[in-house]
Amino acid sequence: MFAELLNWRLGHRRGEPAGVNLALSFSRVSPIGTVVMGTGQEEISTTEGANREGEVPERVVEAESPSGETSVTEEGTELERTIGLKGGLAIGVGTMIGAGIFVFPGLAAGQAGPAAAGSFAIGAVIALLVALPASELATAMPKSGGGYYFISRALGALPGAIVGISIWLGLVFATAFYLVGFGNYAAAVLAEAGVAVGGIPVVVPLALLFGVLLTGLNLVGTENAATLQNYVVGLLLTILVLFLSFGGLDAVGVFGSSSTPERFLPFGPLPVFTTAALVFTSYLGFAQVATVAGDIKDPGRNLPLAMVGSVLIVGTLYVATIFVATSAFGSGTLAEFGETAIVEVARNFMGAPGAIVILVAGLLATVSSANASILSTSRAVFALSKDAILPRFASRINLQYGTPHIALAMGGGPVLVLVAFGGVEVLAEVASFLHLVMYGLMCVALIVMRRDEPEWYDPDFRVPAYQLVAGFGAVASFGLILFMKPTSQIIGVAIMVASAGWFGYYANDVSLKGVL
Amino acid sequence: MSWDATEDPDDSGDLAVREPPKILIPVRVLKGQTVPEPLVEFLRPAEIVVLGYHVLPDQTPTEQGSMQFEDRAQEAVEDIASGFRGAGGGVETRVVFTHDRNQTVARVADEVGATATLLPNPTSEVEDVLVAVRGSIDVARLVDLVAALLADGDERVTLWGLTGGGGYDTEAAVQRADATLEQRGFDPDRITVETSDSETPIYDIVARSAEFDVIVMGEGGPPVLSAVFGDDAERVAEGAVAPVLVVRDLPEPAEPAEESTTADGETDEGDEQQDDGDGSAD
Repeated sequence: MFAELLNWRLGHRRGEPAGVNLALSFSRVSPIGTVVMGTGQEEISTTEGANREGEVPERVVEAESPSGETSVTEEGTELERTIGLKGGLAIGVGTMIGAGIFVFPGLAAGQAGPAAAGSFAIGAVIALLVALPASELATAMPKSGGGYYFISRALGALPGAIVGISIWLGLVFATAFYLVGFGNYAAAVLAEAGVAVGGIPVVVPLALLFGVLLTGLNLVGTENAATLQNYVVGLLLTILVLFLSFGGLDAVGVFGSSSTPERFLPFGPLPVFTTAALVFTSYLGFAQVATVAGDIKDPGRNLPLAMVGSVLIVGTLYVATIFVATSAFGSGTLAEFGETAIVEVARNFMGAPGAIVILVAGLLATVSSANASILSTSRAVFALSKDAILPRFASRINLQYGTPHIALAMGGGPVLVLVAFGGVEVLAEVASFLHLVMYGLMCVALIVMRRDEPEWYDPDFRVPAYQLVAGFGAVASFGLILFMKPTSQIIGVAIMVASAGWFGYYANDVSLKGVL
Repeated sequence: MSWDATEDPDDSGDLAVREPPKILIPVRVLKGQTVPEPLVEFLRPAEIVVLGYHVLPDQTPTEQGSMQFEDRAQEAVEDIASGFRGAGGGVETRVVFTHDRNQTVARVADEVGATATLLPNPTSEVEDVLVAVRGSIDVARLVDLVAALLADGDERVTLWGLTGGGGYDTEAAVQRADATLEQRGFDPDRITVETSDSETPIYDIVARSAEFDVIVMGEGGPPVLSAVFGDDAERVAEGAVAPVLVVRDLPEPAEPAEESTTADGETDEGDEQQDDGDGSAD
């Protein structure tokens, strides 16, 4: 590792003589204005804001082109923006759609009855309340890193670091959750195909196997990953819209078979909110659009459209799915079906072919969610490493494939550990917890930005009635946390405390507030 | 900028170049690609824009790529540019980190108003130049560029008309091109004129590329653009043994900032390439 660090420094950029950097990494000192010894000539290095390794936040992008097609660095190098509105929507929708339809209907109906549709609607409203402030912040700061970037620049390095590290781990939890969902679908496919597994639990091994495969694929890089994601999401949406239209018509009685009347709130109103806290994981995708903000074309227009648009699209689909599912079966039955309940719903409507199509869709959806999350994880790690909150070597790129192998491994590795552990609900809730903290703080960040309006703050998109929207967004985000299970809350708080601890130990001098 | 060659007054052999043509050279710098020495000499009459680009996979933010590789890319581009400067030409440099090579090349070509784009395949001394004349192409621009680059040299020029139906009189176009070149001071002995029937002009051009040291051809509208710059096009560039100079269809001078139609970066029209470029455009 040290050799790697050394290499990085020797091959490093930007003016500073290599000797200074080298000396720092040997002597491991970082107080302000240290006189560095042992380079032959003594130099004053200004390490204000450096971490324990002497690395300072790196500023890469210097300006944006007026056309919104490139960012420009200090040396005049252009960074092409290549993701359009379609691509942005595909990232948002592709990340979100996996969970809400293919994992949660059974669990949610078991907890809240048909009112689970209300839980999903609550989730969508909260997501929108956060997506609007996030859009404004993203158009003001269209940089890679998403929520972490906004919070560190608006509220300072400590809250930024807590959110950044938490969101890295939050994405790890989310990815593990999607992979377990994938395992369930893969197992169901095996069962449908009549492959006997002899009673051995195959879900976790399948999820592990696929987790390794996905990380590996990302490591060796395919240039068309984004295009592929677009097609997968397009195919998925087509299948779902057809399925939901058919099921919806059936549910309202067009096709004759009258549906089972059931009390809308069999368990009272409280489970609607606790269920909303659980299923909020299905909305953890819109902010991922902001993690690729640095690659989005015409960010002032495309970022808000992609974030708000993807929440609206998936919210509608989720509510429709629950409506269709609970009108096909009683919520008790749905709960028994568990993670693949929607397959039974499809079988009920269209027989075996319906079940197979939905199984395929489920595989696609969980794959696209897991993959998008692994990619976001690597970007989260990069953003932290660029700002010297994590060691700089974490952002190194593999020479042969051009992929960020260390950051990918820092996502994929812990994911496998969590998959092996395998508790879907805890994984989902911890992921939600950590994301909700970030969402709440993004709303706070918006209010702070609008109050002070620093000179550089010039968003293309402004949230109307921002105090109301961001205020509700923050309260709702933090409020949902209260409805979670104690285990999830304890794990979530522990991760945040550990993040703060790491920042205090490693990067206490780093200052990021207002540093663009 | 573009004019009808037949109406061009003959300035008694004194080649009045309207402005030096601007050649964009996209170079995959970090893969060790460079511009062959003979091309530097060949392009001396032109203004050069060296576009050093590095394509990153979608997983890698361009920002991250530039953090690690920017200096190397800048140095490599500067090396290439200094070669041109040594030869006495005007050089501009651009360095771009991208996920989509075609989008980048199209954007930069628009921004600098490039006359042509060069795919810098290796070559030896430039002696034989193939000018592929196809129906859908502004022949006047093609000839203009050839005249500007080669008027003072002694390279042999082969004007090859590829007829693909569609009612375009390739024969006449080639003859007109020939006449214009001679009008502008080319020794007729330097010029060879040929025409062939071809259903797949792009592939036929590639097939003959070994016989020549440089190929000059027109962009000829979006389908061929995607053929030359898309995935197929990289095959053309790789398949073609010689460097390829692709003359762009410039937007009208009145609106120099015309939007690029390929900005979406999705070039899945690869298979259309077979049936296009056969001169069907008017």
